[in-house]
Parts: sequence; C-alpha cells; structure tokens
Amino acid sequence: MRILSITTSLSEDSTTLKLSNKIIAAATSAADDAGLSAETEHINVRNLSSDLTDMALTGFRSENLEEAFAKVAEADVIVTVAPVYKVAPVGLHTLFWQLIDEKALANKPVLIGSTGGTPRHSMAGETVLRPMLSYLKGIVVPTTIFAATDDWGSVEGGRNLNARIAQASDELIGLAASLHSVAADSAADNADKPDDAGAASATTGEFGSRGARRDPSINDEFDPELITPFAQLLEG
Amino acid sequence: MELGIFTIGDVTTDPTNGSTVSENQRIKNTVEIAKKAEEVGLDVFATGQHHNPPFVAPANPPVLLSHIAAQTEKLRLSTATTLITTTDPVRIAEDYAYAQHLSDGRISLVMGRGNTGPVYPWFGKDIRSGIPLAVENYNLLYRLWREKNIDWEGKFRTPLGGFTVTPTPLDDVPPFVWHGSIRSPEIAEQAAYYGDGYFHNNIFWPVSHTARMVQLYRQRYEYYGHGAAHQAIVGLGGQVFMRKNSQDAVNEFRPYFDNAPVYGHGPSLEDFSTQTPLTVGSPQQVIERTLSFRDWAGDYQRQLFLIDHAGLPQKTVLEQLDLLGEEVVPVLRKEFAKDRPADVPDAPTHESLVIRHREGRDPIPGGGPGSRAYADRQARAAEQTATEGADR
Repeated sequence: MRILSITTSLSEDSTTLKLSNKIIAAATSAADDAGLSAETEHINVRNLSSDLTDMALTGFRSENLEEAFAKVAEADVIVTVAPVYKVAPVGLHTLFWQLIDEKALANKPVLIGSTGGTPRHSMAGETVLRPMLSYLKGIVVPTTIFAATDDWGSVEGGRNLNARIAQASDELIGLAASLHSVAADSAADNADKPDDAGAASATTGEFGSRGARRDPSINDEFDPELITPFAQLLEG
Repeated sequence: MELGIFTIGDVTTDPTNGSTVSENQRIKNTVEIAKKAEEVGLDVFATGQHHNPPFVAPANPPVLLSHIAAQTEKLRLSTATTLITTTDPVRIAEDYAYAQHLSDGRISLVMGRGNTGPVYPWFGKDIRSGIPLAVENYNLLYRLWREKNIDWEGKFRTPLGGFTVTPTPLDDVPPFVWHGSIRSPEIAEQAAYYGDGYFHNNIFWPVSHTARMVQLYRQRYEYYGHGAAHQAIVGLGGQVFMRKNSQDAVNEFRPYFDNAPVYGHGPSLEDFSTQTPLTVGSPQQVIERTLSFRDWAGDYQRQLFLIDHAGLPQKTVLEQLDLLGEEVVPVLRKEFAKDRPADVPDAPTHESLVIRHREGRDPIPGGGPGSRAYADRQARAAEQTATEGADR
C-alpha cells in the first residue's frame, strides 16, 4: 500500500512536518497491524511553490508538478498536512489541491491534518480543506487532526494528540483495507475468466487505485477514438 | 512550407524606458512590419483579431490586410485569429471575400474563438456558447462561400432567406481556412471534418500537449478521407528573439519577457524556454529549435513567429525581421524540404486551390465515399434500418 503525504512545511524542521511524520508513522503501524505492507512517500509543497505559481499564471505544469500529480494518482491513501494562517490552511497548500486534475483523489481515503498557534484555528481543515478534497472525489475520513502549540507543550496535550492521530490513522487504514478487500473480491471473480485475470490485476494494481491511475498531462479527450464526432456537434 | 510572422498588435509599455506608443503609431508600425516581411523574403504576415486592451492594433483584420495588400506584391496575408464566435459569419464572408479580391487571392484565415469572457457580450454573444457558436457560425460561413441564394436558420443569428454574399469569392474558390485552438479537441475535430487546416499557436504550452492536438487532427483528417494523416495541413506558431550572440539576446529580451502581457511576472525566461517553444538566442539556435518541431508535429505547412510584442521597440522588431530573412528563413526552407515525402502537400495557395476545385478534388465535409467516416455512416444507417425492420 502506498501512503503519500502532501505536506506544506514552510521551514525546514516545522511543526507541520513533525505532525506529518507522526501521522505517517501511525498509519504505517496501523497498516502493519492489518497485515498490509506500507510504502511511504513524502512531498513537501514548499518545493513546488514556484511551479504552482507559474501554473496558476500560465496554465502549464512543470515536470516537477507532473511528477507530484502522478504520485498522487499512484498513491492508495493520502495524508495532507498544512499550517493554518488566518483560519484557513496556508494558500500555497490549497493551491496545490486547486490546480490538480478533477477527480484526482477518486477512490482514495484521505486524512486531513493541520497545525496552528491556538486551538481557535482547529476547524480550518474541516471547513476549507474537507469540501475541496471531497470535490476532488477523495474519501475524507471522519476524524481530522489539529495540533496547536499546547499539544506539543504539555503531557496531557501530547497524549490527546497521539490519541487523535491513532484514531484518524485507524479510520484511514480501515477504509483503505475495506476498499482493498472489495477490489480483491472483484479480482477473484475475474480470475474465473483466465483472459481477464491478468488485465484485472494490472488495472487494479496496488489496491484502491482502480480507475484513478492515469497520466495527468494526457487527457483522454485528445484520443482520436474517443472524440465526439463533429456531425454530433453540428446537430447541437 | 510557408514561413512568416504573426502579431497580436499589443500596445505595451516598453519596460526598459517606460515609453508607450500611441494606437496610431502601433497601427502604422504594424503596416511597416508587414512590408518589411515581404522585403526580407518572408511568405506570410498574419494578424490576430482582438477587441480588448492591450491588443489594439488588430480590431479589424480585413481592413488592415487589404491596406497591406495594396502596398505589397507577393506577401500572403492571413489572420492569426478571426473571431468566429463573436463576428457575424455574414460579415466574415463578405469582408474577407472582398479582401481576397483586392489581394488577388493572397488571403487566408485562422478561425479562433477568443477566450475573454467580457468580450462576448460586447458583440451580443455569450461565452458559455463558445464552442456551439464556433460550430454553427463556421458551418454557415462555409456554405455562404460556396452556395448562392441560401435559406438558412440557426440558433445564434437571424435566419437568411435567399441570401448570396457580395462579392462571391474570387474564382469561386474561398480563402483557405485554418482552425486555431490551443486546447479544445472539438476544434481539431472541426478542422479535420471540413478538410481545412489546423493551426496551433505553440506559445504557452509544452510541446507534449501541442503534439497531442496535432496528432488528433491528423488522425481525424485521415478518418474523414481527405488524405493520409501525414498529408493533413498543419500550422504552428512560435516565439523567438535573436541576436548574433545568444547571451546578448537573453540579456536584451529578459525585461520584455518578465513584463510581457499574459505570462509576465510568472515563470523565468529560462524555465519558459525549456517548457515551451520560446527560443531566445542566436539565429542558429532558432533554426535548430524550429527544425525540431518537425520531430513531434510531422512535416507541416506553415510556421509563424511572434516577434513584435511586449513593448519591443519598432527598430528592434525590424532588426529581428532582418535576421529572420537573412539567416533563419533561407536555412529553414532548405532544411524543411530535406527528406520531406513527395506526397506531403505544400501550404495551400489560391492557385493550388483553384486547380483542386476545377479538378473536382475539393474536400467533402464529413468524408465522401471511400473514407472510414463514410463507411461508418453507411454501417450505422444499415443497422438502424435493420432495427426498425425488427421492431415492425
């Protein structure tokens, strides 16, 4: 199972990066408990900041962005973590999700994490990011994780944060595992037909990514075999 | 192969000295650029059509092109966009037929939709209907240039009863039409359907995308039976700035790039040069880059360069034309001709279109007998008849 974190860590060793690492570790161990082997990968949106601005201004994607979007397409579950500025995840982070392809998160469980100075920002992930990720057809798990300064400073805060991370990671991996078993069942059904078995496992791939895997730069609308015939356009 | 320039006629402040030419000066400069293009041996001058600042010079291409036609001998004149969405097809048919007569057939058109929302209502249209407008209006224009006493009705303009355009096209052969689109597959399909040309401005997007659009057009051209895919009529844009020494070119062009309309204040000159076909450097670098277009577009028919935008001084633009004429175009002409299969057509001219018309080889919209499109239609009709028979 591929776990991908899309994290906006604005400084090198930020609280946001720490939270992201904690979530990834918890998700990996939840996957182990479920008997699934996890591969993890990390993208820091900070490293794509110029590419994202350029794409917003000119409409085209750099190779770095193509690569990042392709990794999202290949991932089975997504963890996304960002700092909150003025009651919304920092604009650079939302820009990433605003510029990615429509339906980029189809069939993928997603976990939202945020960091901020005070608990007053704790709803930012819920109110801003959840609708955006749902729009991209991601399946966002019920628990979101917010870590304020208090959570890092006190024993009690740390325990509470760890408990929320464990809860959200269990939801994330549980959802991924159930999607996986549905995918495995349908692959098993297809195994009766020897011709299709190979094709089914090839398109299912790592679990959960059925139908979501595609080259983000190449859209099927440019396929000569799939184009709407002009006579149909003429009829209106 | 036609080699030339295209302009968007922008009035942009020169970022190096803060000066801005007047509209009048920009329009006169545009005429001077076109005349210079002929003088240095280019084949084509093309102008966009825009109605919103900073693009002021080309609001009325048929007037500009006719004016230039009167002052040139051989130069072929084209639009780089004729707004098929917001311009009445009856006006397009008459204005460009008139310009075709005045220029003795040196006119061709590139159809484009325009993508600026607010412009549409200025001309009584709605951008949400962009594609349907392009489809219906061009279909009417196509008929207006080929039929007399037309009875017509559609969604987007008042009906026509017994209408014939005045004047009718020169020698009964309409100007050649290209369809331009950066990213709409419907427009590549439209070009293929009619057997018209397809033009990609090749400025803002990576070549991987442009190649997909060209391939789509080529394959649909073949599907509609107008020729093999490699015989489809493809045109490309491109953007260059040259000095003998490539570092001089980069240094001189950078402030214009950084402040250019549309993409200024965005990617760096270096990134944009890597990711798009922009070439800033020596004439040799421009030659090599341009020749490489053939690797992904196939042998093609028209190459236009953008050289006069972003506030570049007129003197600099004229120097660019000298470099194009002396050092670039002669080499491109020779190199593009090398290994070009004999069955790849040249860019259409009025003369070649007249011959094609008289020999009865005009493309049949949607594909005539012998095409895959025709066979598919026959098969569908047969299937329908069979289904109806079974129902009875």
